[in-house]
Amino acid sequence: MDIGLAGQYVLNGLMLGIIYAMVAVGFTLFFGVLDIIKFSHGDVLTVGAFTALAAYAGVTALGLQSPWLILGVIALAAIAGTAVLGALIARFLIMPMRGAPPINVLLLTLMLGTALRESVRLFYPNGSNPKMFPRLLPGGAANFGRFTLRYDSVLIFVAGVAVIVGVSLLINRSKLGLAIRAVAQDAETARVMGIDLEAVVLFTFALGSALAALAGVMNGMYYSEINFNMGLLLGLIGFSAAIIGGLGNIYGAILGGFLFAALQTIGAVLLPVSSAYKDVFAFAAVIVLMAWRPTGLIAEKSSERV
Amino acid sequence: MSGRLAVENVFAGYDRTDVLTDVSLVAEPGRITCILGSNGSGKSTLIRAILGLTPPRTGRIVFNGHDLAGRDTHQIIRAGIACIPEGRKVFSRLTVAENLRLGAYQAGNEVARERMARVYGIFPRLAERAGQFTGTMSGGEQAMVSIGRGLMAAPKLLLIDEPSLGLSPLFVKENFSVIRRIQELGITVLLVEQNVRQTLAIAHYGYVLMQGRVVASGTAAELVENEEVRQAYFGDGVRPA
Ligand SMILES: Nc1ncnc2c1ncn2[C@@H]1O[C@H](COP(=O)(O)OP(=O)(O)O)[C@@H](O)[C@H]1O
Ligand SMILES: [Mg+2]
Repeated sequence: MDIGLAGQYVLNGLMLGIIYAMVAVGFTLFFGVLDIIKFSHGDVLTVGAFTALAAYAGVTALGLQSPWLILGVIALAAIAGTAVLGALIARFLIMPMRGAPPINVLLLTLMLGTALRESVRLFYPNGSNPKMFPRLLPGGAANFGRFTLRYDSVLIFVAGVAVIVGVSLLINRSKLGLAIRAVAQDAETARVMGIDLEAVVLFTFALGSALAALAGVMNGMYYSEINFNMGLLLGLIGFSAAIIGGLGNIYGAILGGFLFAALQTIGAVLLPVSSAYKDVFAFAAVIVLMAWRPTGLIAEKSSERV
Repeated sequence: MSGRLAVENVFAGYDRTDVLTDVSLVAEPGRITCILGSNGSGKSTLIRAILGLTPPRTGRIVFNGHDLAGRDTHQIIRAGIACIPEGRKVFSRLTVAENLRLGAYQAGNEVARERMARVYGIFPRLAERAGQFTGTMSGGEQAMVSIGRGLMAAPKLLLIDEPSLGLSPLFVKENFSVIRRIQELGITVLLVEQNVRQTLAIAHYGYVLMQGRVVASGTAAELVENEEVRQAYFGDGVRPA
């Protein structure tokens, strides 16, 4: 294959990988602290992306001009909106289900996801149609032969890496992160240490949801388009990535995100007929991986979480 | 009044059945009060009730004059209670230092550092192993982590649930001397133990639980002479050393 084209594939794979990793980390955090799979996660991502879009309409109506300022404001709106949404979901839907069979929580979050998705479609103006996502990053590109490196892609990727590094520092270095890891290992003993379990759970859900929102915004900026069901596939991919990595393990989730993106990229290269087949290829490969390593690539030792 | 615990007419249990039936007892400040009783008699449930993990159905638990009813566990810990739980319950995938830091979770970094230095003074072995994952340590070392973690809270009242379970006799002996040192620091101790002789040797006062009821109580000397205790623990006619 042509070097330039190969570079393009790698760059695209890295972009997708960082977005998937951000979604997967949320799944892994929720599973860590509460042993649950939250199927509405992808749709929270959608809500985040549309919150950013609504905020964009708002700030441009107010006459804000600077693209950096606009970007900051809409990203903050998406983060704040979904963080609150995530904490509310945890407080009023998931915490009360503690002790219920896991399958009930799964069903509940599946229905919640559908409700969120359909709400975006119904209540966002003209929500059934794909929406243009504004280009706020500087245009321009560097050309290396047939390989075009868009500056905005580089910025999105660097921002994603910074967020992921920031989250892993928070989890591994801060006192709050220590509490999250303690809750993930043994919630009851964590309470005996004086940790406010509910506060830690709400924070974790706010954090995971904000990550999803950022992933949604990054996805929108990369493709310049969002739509009401974008969270369906991104959620499924994030979930798969978390599973491949070994659910409950943050580094596993990050690795899983990049691995899934790599599989899609390989699929796109091997099956040039239609890019739709790349997902089929990637999911088929995930199924094979799961058959080979049922507990994920980084196997969970009985007590290993987060 | 510092560190006085009074359990008054407590009923508590799981699901629909009561495990504790009308339990009343007092842990006097600065003393070691022990709870004796065979397996399944409700000793750990009593500890859980005090910690708010299994909140009492009725009755009162009063600490330093404050009723703990309706408080969440982290608020009860804030009041000055800490626990060395049954089975040690160390966080095996966290390091020794992280386990200890969690013991002083509600304290700031500076205070936690000072207390950690003191715990390392008591258990020099933990200082050597500060960065090691706790799950990779021996049972005796994990017991040190669990005890050290309980001390990190600098509690007024320390609840200790069967610290010598599954330990070698040497460690058991060391455990008892550590518990006595804890009491000498002025901390009120409520001690659950199966090891009756050694427990009564260090305790001031004790209660005997049987099927969730207090069936006997008295000073350590009285309990040694008590028929129920002797039958339950020492067999016929054997006097404790
Ligand atoms: N989590 C639980 N759920 C239901 N029953 C329990 C639970 N823990 C203990 N029990 C029951 O409560 C009774 C007292 O147990 P426990 O307080 O652990 O006794 P002890 O500590 O004295 O051995 C036992 O019959 C036990 O089966
Ligand atoms: Mg017990």
